[in-house]
Amino acid sequence: MAVYKRSYRGYAGTLTPAWSRFLVLYRFARRTQSRSKVQTVFFVLCFFFPLLCLLGIYANSHLSAFAFLGRRAGPFLEIDGSFFLVYLSVQSALSFILTAFIGPGLVSPDLANGALTLYLCRPLSRTEYVLGKLSVLVITLSWITWVPGLVLFFVQGSLSGWQWMSDNLWLANAILWGSFVWILLLAMLSLALSAWVKWRIAAGALLLATFFVGAGFAQAVNAVLRTQQGYLLDISRLVSIIWQNLLRQQSHQPLPVPEAWIAVLILYALCLFLLMRKVKAAEVIR
Amino acid sequence: MNKLWSKQIRAVIRLEMKKTFFAKRGLWIYLLALAPVGLFFAHTLVEIHFRGVRHEMSQKTTRPLTEQDFSSIHDGMTRDDVVKLLGEPPVSRTGARRVRTGPHSFDQNSFESMRYSDGRTELIVNLEKGAVVGIGMSTGASLGQDTYIFAGVFQFFFLRLAIFFGCLGIFMNLFRGEMLDKSLHFYLLAPVRREVLLVGKYLAALLAATVIFTTSVALQLIALLSLYGSNIIANYLYQDHGWSQVIAYLGITILACVGYGSIFLAAGLFFRNPIIPAAFVLIWEAANPVLPSLLKQFSVIYYLRSLCPVDIPVDPGMPPLLALLISNAEPISAYVAVFGLLAVSVAILAGSMRRVRSLEINYTTE
Amino acid sequence: MSNQIVFDNVSKFYGDVLGVNRVNLSIPPGITSLVGPNGSGKTTLMNLMTGLIRPSRGHIRILDMSPDQPEELFRVVGYCSQFDALPKGLSGYEFIYSYLKLFGHDAEACDELAWRAIDLVGLREAAHRKAAAYSKGMRQRIRLAQSLAHNPRVLILDEPLNGLDPLVRAETIALFRSLAKQGRHVLLSSHVLHEVDIISDQVILMSGGYVIAEGNIQGVRSEIDDQPMQILIRCNRPSDLASRVFKEDHVVEVRVHNDRRGLLVKTSNPDRFYLLMNKVALDGINIESVAPVDDDVNSVYEYLIGTEEVTR
Repeated sequence: MAVYKRSYRGYAGTLTPAWSRFLVLYRFARRTQSRSKVQTVFFVLCFFFPLLCLLGIYANSHLSAFAFLGRRAGPFLEIDGSFFLVYLSVQSALSFILTAFIGPGLVSPDLANGALTLYLCRPLSRTEYVLGKLSVLVITLSWITWVPGLVLFFVQGSLSGWQWMSDNLWLANAILWGSFVWILLLAMLSLALSAWVKWRIAAGALLLATFFVGAGFAQAVNAVLRTQQGYLLDISRLVSIIWQNLLRQQSHQPLPVPEAWIAVLILYALCLFLLMRKVKAAEVIR
Repeated sequence: MNKLWSKQIRAVIRLEMKKTFFAKRGLWIYLLALAPVGLFFAHTLVEIHFRGVRHEMSQKTTRPLTEQDFSSIHDGMTRDDVVKLLGEPPVSRTGARRVRTGPHSFDQNSFESMRYSDGRTELIVNLEKGAVVGIGMSTGASLGQDTYIFAGVFQFFFLRLAIFFGCLGIFMNLFRGEMLDKSLHFYLLAPVRREVLLVGKYLAALLAATVIFTTSVALQLIALLSLYGSNIIANYLYQDHGWSQVIAYLGITILACVGYGSIFLAAGLFFRNPIIPAAFVLIWEAANPVLPSLLKQFSVIYYLRSLCPVDIPVDPGMPPLLALLISNAEPISAYVAVFGLLAVSVAILAGSMRRVRSLEINYTTE
Repeated sequence: MSNQIVFDNVSKFYGDVLGVNRVNLSIPPGITSLVGPNGSGKTTLMNLMTGLIRPSRGHIRILDMSPDQPEELFRVVGYCSQFDALPKGLSGYEFIYSYLKLFGHDAEACDELAWRAIDLVGLREAAHRKAAAYSKGMRQRIRLAQSLAHNPRVLILDEPLNGLDPLVRAETIALFRSLAKQGRHVLLSSHVLHEVDIISDQVILMSGGYVIAEGNIQGVRSEIDDQPMQILIRCNRPSDLASRVFKEDHVVEVRVHNDRRGLLVKTSNPDRFYLLMNKVALDGINIESVAPVDDDVNSVYEYLIGTEEVTR
């Protein structure tokens, strides 16, 4: 007989919800990452600065405990937009390094080794595949950006009282959306570059190049063309402008905030376009 | 034996050219090299446009203006004072701006931007609520200024970033990329000494890198000089040591490819993930000005900076980090720079030859 | 120059993982097949021979040359590995031609050798297409052609018949035979045991990184004492024959064949049994054929490697 053992039956048990299937990719990617000691250690180190901030917030509210040090009884930290701007700047740098570890290896090995065909011949669409890979970075980077940021906000709120929290709820918004802008940018850029070059190592080099060369070329454009529009090519600068606006910092900006937002949105669209072009089950070679 | 080796090296170069030159995956390297070319061409076009605008503006003033007239404008003057001195502005832009005065309060300020020109220099007077709050003067491009700008772009962007990352992309893939492609064993199964193979691959990549980046430098210079008349260009090239500067820039580009190429070839051989040593080299090169003298010599940029024909003046307003990168407190002679860099590169290649001799193919662990 | 491939106490460890251990071999010219389950060390052995990996212990000599001398060795050795990748951006012809140039030949010689190799594998029409666009079988053939192009004395082939259709398989096997007849070494690995049976002059059986047996397959079979030899006798009176042979003490099992026109006998002493057949034939039983059933690679594999796997 053609079918081995007529007793075969297809699986008839309960199925997981279709909308959450892309998270399977996240779970397996996390398992692979957790095998890397370097990544795990670095991930833990990323919590060092938020911890320091937490201690600073606590010390700021319990100055009487430090009276024995002979310090005057006044707060030494202003927990406002500038505080969280520094927090976001430090954590964004750490998240860039973490992305350089994780990002390049997400899509390029699947493309190089023909694994994409295996993914896409299951009930998994290209969109779900991209979402799954994005979720690896988004969830991992969230842990070291807006999650500890909001914890700091709520700790400060609990120590300062309900009035402070209600007056400064915009801070929580700014931390959340500011972090998401950065996380999404890093995630989409690293996935798009990983899909474009198909080599994990070249993808890592391109990710480094995009930020450093972009910043350098922005300065070159400004110097040569005597303009400030070159900063449109400096990704870190664009995000910094957005953060400063969200966190209501008054410093002079080289570009208007709407321009920065548009540039970032165009970057998202470019990354999405590259991903949709490259993430395909089959490649035609002529 | 030498004849055989040279045939084999030529064969390796030929193979590498077929496989990697003009490959789609190397497109970003071409973009990196051509970006500054596009920039300088844009500069030329913009400058031509603004020359036209300044000329038009100078025709529209009530009387011919001079730089002395422009120098007489200062902060705090009223609009009427400015108009009395310079006349009605040929170009003026007005509007209102929302300014935050407190956490939840805003104010509406009127502003005006007036522009004058004497045909060469442009004066921009910014007024807020009828009083001068800012004055800007810009002269058109001059070859002298442009050579400084080119020197700055070359040293700060082209050498440290474009050639750095371009060579990273080209040289790192010579061995590491072939390992990932699972095609390196074809070379190792040929009757070629592994050292000869390494030399052939290095020379092929060097040829590609130097062609791409020297072409870029040449095009950048052409774009820059195309703004000026033939007299100015001839004067620059033959009287003002222009040719020696051009040759210096091309030579520095080639030496940069030699130096960075050897480093990244070695990184691809010694490390499974060459991005980590590449990031280390990037930081090391940036930190070169603050390193002790002995350690400074283990750097490509240390030698190349001394060869740059144009010293960039350090602007008092320049950020300290940029000033540190641009300044060259301990210049070395050209001979020491060239031979020093070649010696460092040869030493790195010699180490790479030892490594390639014991290289093993194990694709399943990649 | 010696005409042997010699492994002298060769071991290879990948960290704690054993690749091959204490391999002592002397491989003569002819077709030698490496047989063993996945992970037994066949590819490791081939990679060791060609210097792609270095032994942790021991020495290897191929026709008196060491794998550390690639510039001499690869003029006489051709290796078609199991890796299915080809260099990017090259057509089939360019792939063979360009790597021939590494030998130092001039353009004409390389062109002639390249086309000769392409014709051997029947890929002339597809030669100018990009190799990346080839089907699996075509990729296998072009890699085979590349390993043959320089006319090597030693040909090392890792699963060379993978992905080939039956017609091409037969042509390729005929090619190996003709090469072996010229006194060359053809060392190949395969999982298709009946083909190994047909084409091999000698066999090397490997399991778990060890060489279990080597040599002519019949010789190997005769040394497996713990497995009685199975012999099929075709005759007109199987029942009578069965009662006759069952009296012998060296006969372990007798079974009448399903078609009732033969007898399957297991004997611990085949030589005595064959002598017995001579006598039985004289006693009036019409014996049409006497043939061993289990002196092929398949049976030997099952006895030696199958039992090893069970024991583990």
